[in-house]
Amino acid sequence: MIEVRGLRKRFGDVVAVDDVSFEARNGEVTALLGENGAGKTTTLRSIYGLIQPDVGEVRVDGVDGIAQPLSARMGLGVLSEARGLYPRLTPREHMRYFAHLQGLGRAETETRCEDLVDLLGMQDFADRRAAGLSHGENTKVALSRALLHDPANILLDEPTTGLDVMSTRAVRELIVQLRARGKCVVFSSHVMQEVAAVSDRIVVVSAGRVVASGTPAELRRSTGLDDLEDVFVALAGRGGAWE
Amino acid sequence: MKNLVAALLVVLRKELVDGLRDRRSLISVLAPLALLPVLLFVGMSQATEAVERARQITVPVIGAEHASELTEWLDQQAGIEIEQGPDQPREAVRNGEVDFVLVIPKDFAERFAKSETAEVEIILEGMDRGLDRAVGRVRDLIRGYSRGIADQRLIVRGISPEVARPVRVETIELATQQQRTAMLIGFMPLILVMGIFVGGLQIAIDSTAGERERGSLEPLLVIPVPRLSIIGGKWLAATAFSLASAVLTAALMGIGLEYSPLQRLGLRLELDGGVMALMVAAIVPLAFSVTALQMVVATLARSYKEAQSYVSFLMLLPMLPLALTMNSPIEDATWRLLVPVLAQQQLIQGAIGGEGVALVDFGVTVLMAAAFAGVCLWLTSDLFRRERIVFGR
Repeated sequence: MIEVRGLRKRFGDVVAVDDVSFEARNGEVTALLGENGAGKTTTLRSIYGLIQPDVGEVRVDGVDGIAQPLSARMGLGVLSEARGLYPRLTPREHMRYFAHLQGLGRAETETRCEDLVDLLGMQDFADRRAAGLSHGENTKVALSRALLHDPANILLDEPTTGLDVMSTRAVRELIVQLRARGKCVVFSSHVMQEVAAVSDRIVVVSAGRVVASGTPAELRRSTGLDDLEDVFVALAGRGGAWE
Repeated sequence: MKNLVAALLVVLRKELVDGLRDRRSLISVLAPLALLPVLLFVGMSQATEAVERARQITVPVIGAEHASELTEWLDQQAGIEIEQGPDQPREAVRNGEVDFVLVIPKDFAERFAKSETAEVEIILEGMDRGLDRAVGRVRDLIRGYSRGIADQRLIVRGISPEVARPVRVETIELATQQQRTAMLIGFMPLILVMGIFVGGLQIAIDSTAGERERGSLEPLLVIPVPRLSIIGGKWLAATAFSLASAVLTAALMGIGLEYSPLQRLGLRLELDGGVMALMVAAIVPLAFSVTALQMVVATLARSYKEAQSYVSFLMLLPMLPLALTMNSPIEDATWRLLVPVLAQQQLIQGAIGGEGVALVDFGVTVLMAAAFAGVCLWLTSDLFRRERIVFGR
């Protein structure tokens, strides 16, 4: 469960996020939908505490994410915008490194690694050095790294960007599986179809502001439009900065 | 606290594994070794000189009382020591008790006073190379003395000494023996400090600027462990490489000097295990502060490339004073103990010079290094909190 209230962040003269509030519940997939530069990444970074918002409140399972960033992060699994790997380590070594840092024991680490290798279909490259991995393989390793400690809340920043069709489907399936296990999943995207396919709740962000939020059905109703893409364009237009 | 240490060890282990797989890290550990041949070359060029001049020449003299002015003058010359010669000089030389004896006859004082030519004898069995040098030196000195007296006598008689010296040979010696020894000794700290600066550089950069550039910093910082654990682990990994480089350099330096002709040629530079251990011990605290400093600088840099040039530039800072003082060592002083690099230089020179290292002095350098590293780590940790640094804006 993630609660964000009145988030505001300014970089120099640019207000990146302006009074963003939303709630992401357990067992639901919440999408942050918006064009590049709308403030999605800044919002996510504020939740996992690498950005200190000027104003606002973040709660992860009730823990104050701004006052106690370390405790709040314990309940989070994050696929950040930056998802680089160590070229000289294998995917499995990446997983072990992050699992040990998360405080997992040796035996637990190995079981979790095996589970994730299976879940994400990483058998073919799990023991190859990361230097030669494809973009899709890279994203899978980054995802596995985020899910090792079986977090209750999962933040995915543009998880499908740059992926081919097969990898995109794999990620989508993963999101659905996580929801089925009662996780609170928040992901950002600028791709309409993707959001429509998996989200229970959509938060439309434009120019740093939340211009609308609700279930896909609610959004259709409120705009009187049937096609989600039209809804998106109509809503984003209200934000004013959408050209 | 337990958490902090556990996480630190995880990071340390990962960075060590990563570093060992990185060709560049390994090269940087070995890089200072490339300087070793230079060291040996400097040593060689000074070795011959060392044999000629460095050895103390003891001159057994009989009848010193007949020419006290001469013998006292000789005794004051660098590398010359006068001792009482054996009663039976010819016997003693023949038996090999002494190599040679300088005999001053009874009539020396009388003839000298009358401005006649006073004779002295050098008794020796036969010439060999080593003895030749020693006797040659004594002979040269006595000739020099004789010439000085001659000049005085001529001047007293109103004649310019130049009249009696149609040709004069001037030998210009560019480096004196002392300077060369100092140079060789000055080279040791330089090469060790070089090892410290180069050995951990690659990890210091790769784990900060490199980590950000390849986009692995953000995922790492998301993990709920204290920043100090992450930075501490990286720092210790860099320090381990830095120390490995210094230890390797010191060891090879020792082996190189042991098996090079330097020792046989009589170079007075003993680098046994004890001295080596002292040298390495003296340099250890420096490694901890240098890698911490490299991490701050690399973290501040906007890119990997920029970090590389900053950190390389950093290397010039200690090289400058070390290179400048290689030829003319500066005096040992307490203030030097407070300045990293200069402190280690002083301690290493003490170790090589056989004076050892005072525990108090070493303690001071440890404290200074700890304080310096502490400040740098705190700064790095603070930088890692800044959005501008973490996201490279």
